[in-house]
Amino acid sequence: MTIREKGYTHWDGQLRQTRFPWWPITRTGIKLAFKIKGFRLFFVFSLIPSFVYLVGIYISERMENFRFMIKGSEKILQINPGYFKSYLTSDFLLFMMVMLLVFGGARLISDDLKNNALQLYFSRPIQKKDYFLGKASILFFFLLILTLVPGLVFFLMKLIFAASFAFFAAFPWLLLSIVIYSLLVTIFFASYTLLLSSLSKNKRYVAVLIFAVYLFSDIIAAILNEIFRTPYVALFSLKVNLQQMGAFLFQQKAHYAVPWFYSFLVLAAVCALTVWVLGKKIKGVEVIK
Amino acid sequence: MAGLKRTQGSFSIRSVGEVFSFFLFLGRRAKKTKVFFFLSLLPVILVLVIKANQILSSNPSVSVTSVFSNILMVFDLQFLVLILALFYGTSVCSEELEGKTLSYLATRPIPKSAIILGKYAAYTLLIVIMMAISLILSFMILNSSRLLMVSLYPELLRYLGVLVLGLICYTAFFTLLGTILKKAILLGLVFGFGWESVIQYFPGSTQRFSIVHYLKSLLPSYPSGGFSFLLFRLEPTRPGLALLALALLTAAFLALACLAFTYKEYIFED
Amino acid sequence: MTAVIETKALSKWYGNVLGLSDVSLQIEAGITGLLGPNGAGKSTFMKLLTGQIKPNIGEVRISGQRIWNNFGLFARIGFCQEQDSFYEEVTGWEFLSGLLKFFHFSPAEIKTRAERALDIVELLKDKDRLIRAYSRGMRQRLKFAQAIAHDPEIMILDEPLNGLDPLGKRKLIHLVKDYKSQGKVIIVSSHVLPEIEAMTSNIVLIHQGKILARGDIHYIRDLIESHPHIISIKCSKPRELASKFIAQDFILKVTFGPEPETLVVETHNRDKLFGLLPALLIDNAIEVEEITSPDDNLQAVFDYLVGK
Repeated sequence: MTIREKGYTHWDGQLRQTRFPWWPITRTGIKLAFKIKGFRLFFVFSLIPSFVYLVGIYISERMENFRFMIKGSEKILQINPGYFKSYLTSDFLLFMMVMLLVFGGARLISDDLKNNALQLYFSRPIQKKDYFLGKASILFFFLLILTLVPGLVFFLMKLIFAASFAFFAAFPWLLLSIVIYSLLVTIFFASYTLLLSSLSKNKRYVAVLIFAVYLFSDIIAAILNEIFRTPYVALFSLKVNLQQMGAFLFQQKAHYAVPWFYSFLVLAAVCALTVWVLGKKIKGVEVIK
Repeated sequence: MAGLKRTQGSFSIRSVGEVFSFFLFLGRRAKKTKVFFFLSLLPVILVLVIKANQILSSNPSVSVTSVFSNILMVFDLQFLVLILALFYGTSVCSEELEGKTLSYLATRPIPKSAIILGKYAAYTLLIVIMMAISLILSFMILNSSRLLMVSLYPELLRYLGVLVLGLICYTAFFTLLGTILKKAILLGLVFGFGWESVIQYFPGSTQRFSIVHYLKSLLPSYPSGGFSFLLFRLEPTRPGLALLALALLTAAFLALACLAFTYKEYIFED
Repeated sequence: MTAVIETKALSKWYGNVLGLSDVSLQIEAGITGLLGPNGAGKSTFMKLLTGQIKPNIGEVRISGQRIWNNFGLFARIGFCQEQDSFYEEVTGWEFLSGLLKFFHFSPAEIKTRAERALDIVELLKDKDRLIRAYSRGMRQRLKFAQAIAHDPEIMILDEPLNGLDPLGKRKLIHLVKDYKSQGKVIIVSSHVLPEIEAMTSNIVLIHQGKILARGDIHYIRDLIESHPHIISIKCSKPRELASKFIAQDFILKVTFGPEPETLVVETHNRDKLFGLLPALLIDNAIEVEEITSPDDNLQAVFDYLVGK
């Protein structure tokens, strides 16, 4: 084609739509997260409980060999839905997840706002939902490694160590509970993090907010419980709401006598707020008056 | 230019004062100050709820003294003070690096230590004001029926003094962290909510390796027959010594921060 | 003329990356242009001059005094940084007058100086707008204003023309030249030769952390002029066009490029070639698809100088 025939009004090349336009955002985000030393350390540290619980499953199948070690503690090593619930809703695991969000999640949107990168994203063939999904998927990746993967591994190893499907037959719904609870926790924490990350261009401020709001909700619930002596104040605590949902999904007795759907509504409200705030905050062009 | 005064190359309180006024102005303007001010008012909202419950309920579950020492002060001393000091303390240095505005300060005829001290003073004053408003309002709401009792106010002043000292000392520590570490917030969280929370319950002298021990040693002792979460497992240091320890710690943290900021090289992340 | 700024064997490493290598310069009053491609070490040099970073080897002296931790010297230095960063939640006026306080001026003097500086950069009418509402050009001008507001004797300007429109550039260049006539010491960095050329004839060429050349602009220009230019032409009849070029005395070399129907011409007189080309194309009915100049950039000049 000669110069005079070339123009910018027509394109002869092939346009190819990728199936997962959000994937490059996720892939890059995961790589960048692993580059942060502190994040790597915390991530490894947060996997320790899963190893401990896995060892517990092994010991539970070899009780006679380890009886000298676990005298009086045999009840803890009864592998039932309560065992899974105790891992997935443990204070330590939830706290470590929050710390990972502080390390790796605070900068997800705040850095883009600070560096005016939104225009770079939206001048590419991606939509807002791809951007959100891409960012959220970074958190999904790490959080699911801490929840879904250990849950499934525990289940699988229990079957393998027991060399029978009796456990599955006894609790056929357990796998579904593991999946649903893991997704619930992951989606909630991802929403929570993205919501706070979109509120400021300062990732340090967002990091403090992520930690403070989580801790503060717990403190407020404890204080209100002290005053009003009603279990419903536990709904103020994000951690307790997750634990209440865990208790329901694993068919265990909840710590607070509050119907599970109230906790679900609180968590869903946070997710809905996230969608609303992100819709307002994330724009390709910002008009400053 | 006629009448131009050139700065002498030595440390001056005036330089600290100028940095202080500039950052007090900036700090007041900042959006995040409004957010933290609202956060510091949450105890007031809590106290309003408690008061409403006391008025409406014929059998209130907790006494005013218990609310103040077991709820409010625990919340303020072990959460709010730490959050405010952590954010503002680390901001003294980190803010300039993240915002790439350090050059504006480092190329003025003021000593680098004046930048640290002036900014520290400005931010500490801001958070002290926030905390004071919160505590005084909460106290007045809780004791609304006995505001004319003069004997109440020394206790309020003492509690306020403890919180102010806490802010001063913690902010100094986090300022030091901010000048020497890139990820100061994270270590600050681990220190404030990990170390400080755990070590204070250790027996003997181990408690003395925390700032909160000296703060709690300055608290008024609980009336007999009552229980205080704050004084639980506390083996207090004498108040005079506790004050001295806090003053020395603050001075040491600030001196080290000034030293680090003066001699350390800060390279902007591109 | 005595040197105001002196650097001796100045070297700086960032980990394993060499930022600046063995730079020894003496800078007198007047405008010194620091020219180099991106990543050459200009900003590193500027930061060393202003004591923001410490050299690994060597030293920087201003009026005989070391700059590192010598804050007293900054009363005489104005620095305009490259980064576009401000305290965003204040107005231009508040920003400028706040920074002027650090010079211990009286409130009246601060007001006068701030107004004058803002007037010089034509931001007086926008002084009460928040900085985050400023355009790119306004922000750049404000940066320049904070560097001149205290009337410094030494001005160190790191890429001061970035983000300015052509009119803004022209005004700033004019301003810098005014300061030169007042006997000030001005160091300006840029990666755009015509910008530096418009301000001064005294240039320091920096590349990969080293000083490549120093001297008059005309010397640099001659080096560039003698550097042969390469032009690549993709057309329908490359061999016929080549035969026409070979007859011209200003054509140094003609080769056929790796791509089909591409002709690569080397000349030391680009203007003559482009003057002749249209006539050759029309007279011989040659259709041109593409004309490029692969080495038409500062990097190529530097590569040439390095090779020299």
